[in-house]
Amino acid sequence: MSNLLHFSSHTLQEIALVFMATVYFMRVRWFLKWPLAKERQPATGMGDTNPKKGARYSVGKIAMPWAMESSRNKPLMYAQFVIFHLGVVAAIGLSFIIPYGPGLLKSAGLVSLIQLLTGAACIIGVFRIIRRITNPYMRAISSPDDHFSLVLLTGWFAFAFMAAPNNISSGEGVMLAYFMLTAFFLVYVPFSKISHYLYYPFTRTYLGRHFGRRGVYPLKRTPA
Amino acid sequence: MSTTTNGRSYKAQKVIDRMGQKLTRQMVGSLAACVHCGQCTDSCHYVLSNPGDPTFAPAYKADRIRKLFKKHYDWTGKVFPKWVKAGTVQTDEDLEELKDIVFGKCTNCRRCTINCPMGVDLATFNRMARGLLCHVGIMPEGVEYVAKEQWEIGNQMGVLKEDYIETIEWQEEELQDEMEDPNARIPVDKVNSEIVYVINPREIKHDPRSVLDAAKIFYMAGADYTMPSEGWDMTNFGLFNGDDELGGAVAGRVYDKVEELNGKKLVISECGHGYRSTRCEGPNWAKKDIAFDSESSVITMLKYIKEGKIKVDKTKNPGSYTFHDSCNNARSCGLTEEPRELLSLVVDDFREMYPNRAENYCCTGGGGAMSMAEYRPSRLKSAKVKADQLSATGTKTVVTSCHNCVDGLTDLIGHYKLGMDVTQLVNLVANALVVDEKIEENRKIHSAETSATAAQ
Repeated sequence: MSNLLHFSSHTLQEIALVFMATVYFMRVRWFLKWPLAKERQPATGMGDTNPKKGARYSVGKIAMPWAMESSRNKPLMYAQFVIFHLGVVAAIGLSFIIPYGPGLLKSAGLVSLIQLLTGAACIIGVFRIIRRITNPYMRAISSPDDHFSLVLLTGWFAFAFMAAPNNISSGEGVMLAYFMLTAFFLVYVPFSKISHYLYYPFTRTYLGRHFGRRGVYPLKRTPA
Repeated sequence: MSTTTNGRSYKAQKVIDRMGQKLTRQMVGSLAACVHCGQCTDSCHYVLSNPGDPTFAPAYKADRIRKLFKKHYDWTGKVFPKWVKAGTVQTDEDLEELKDIVFGKCTNCRRCTINCPMGVDLATFNRMARGLLCHVGIMPEGVEYVAKEQWEIGNQMGVLKEDYIETIEWQEEELQDEMEDPNARIPVDKVNSEIVYVINPREIKHDPRSVLDAAKIFYMAGADYTMPSEGWDMTNFGLFNGDDELGGAVAGRVYDKVEELNGKKLVISECGHGYRSTRCEGPNWAKKDIAFDSESSVITMLKYIKEGKIKVDKTKNPGSYTFHDSCNNARSCGLTEEPRELLSLVVDDFREMYPNRAENYCCTGGGGAMSMAEYRPSRLKSAKVKADQLSATGTKTVVTSCHNCVDGLTDLIGHYKLGMDVTQLVNLVANALVVDEKIEENRKIHSAETSATAAQ
């Protein structure tokens, strides 16, 4: 392994991670400084739910595609969402496995799993890029950050797919590109919409508590 | 147009400055967390009824407000404004454009909120944006007029106290005739009552039958109730124009009157936004913790039937019925099951509408839209999805627990020539009332007591 690859897969990643953590810390601190609106209303609804139950339901909704019409009516979109995010987990995991636990990649099964997830996520990424450009609704709501973040992730999946076997016998180009991209990704993410997962627990909890107190969450419905 | 030193109009500067004062953490989360995934798009009745026009997409509309937040309050937008589509408002014309979006393209129905994977509550910050605009005098004329009436006269339809009392007395006479009981009363300002009953001014001005129907139910149940002479308007334009001060003042009038009368429970007649404003949001706006109980009249009527205080005969309401959930009742207050249970007790042929409950489509007249004449053509065009939903039930009558929905639905039913009637639960319950010996005895005892109290 060259010094450059070693630096890219270790020191550069660590610096990028510290940077990301610092910005996230600042971001959360900024967010928590905003005043929390107080709910004074007496509870409404049938009395079968409460803010805690509502919050649990709200946070868990992401894993309940049947609970939301927007995912219930578009199962393929939901499947894409799941695979795309599993691809993110696999690609992030790989960036830790290669420098800190390369022995794990001796398992062909693990390599195949990582490649399956990142490869599928890459294909979905391409589909999403096309959709964002060609669908007039998506185009109208997209910012340069939306486009760039998607392209960045899709490219990163492709390099993760190629880097998964951790084989530098035919050159270090792929590994270098993967780690350089990972480092850039870590630095860029806190400034982009990709950092949405930072807000997710807050937004969903607040909304869940609100709707739980009002007897709205968990949703009741009579299917057609 | 006068401008500040940075070339921005005073009104635009005021909107930006005030936004910082109105933002809560919940709203900031909603403003910061959107990933533009587009999952909310198909949840909006404006989108579904206007295919091909992305300016109706909830995320697109939200971004007209979000760009201000990003530019002025979020440092990513300050550093990379174009990259994250941050932007500002410079002129009064910019504010007028924003007005047409927040008032004319959204009814704050919250259907996109429950369909957002991230939990972005567009309706809440859309309401905030309405409030910012109203604060600088930019709002639809109808909204301005109604808000003024509510501030100055105390109710949103400008009903004078004399007219209100006169209408109640008129309905009291009707009650006496129908019940064949000269002692039947609709008490006003009776202290220490179990129930203080508040209504929508529309009932006084356009639908006094609802007051009479409620009075019949209270009479038959032998209820100890009163209507207040002041603070009787449970509607609240503060919900629609985003003015928390108005919201707090209107709700506060109701709360103060209940306390003055030493009422045990506040019962709110059938009105979605009124119920939400008085029962849910009012304490937040008025910054007041409420010491007495409150409930929707739907729950009160249901209790009367369950407790045997009134009896109903569903054959008195022939025909087929469907139920329209008011957005405010269903999506913001969880009032979905009781109306169905009550409806099933008073009609024989109830057919569910799909989607329903918290997933129901707005009547398209919500969020104060019925008072915004300039957006009527767009509103009715956007009602197509609701018209299709109503039509698919194959029923003759749509029942709802909201006066605003009654007007919204009536308007779209006429526009799309659906030939359906619109009614409320109070009308159906009153029509289904039957008298048996025990109830007759109870009501006579109570009637005599009420009459004696009134004479004192």
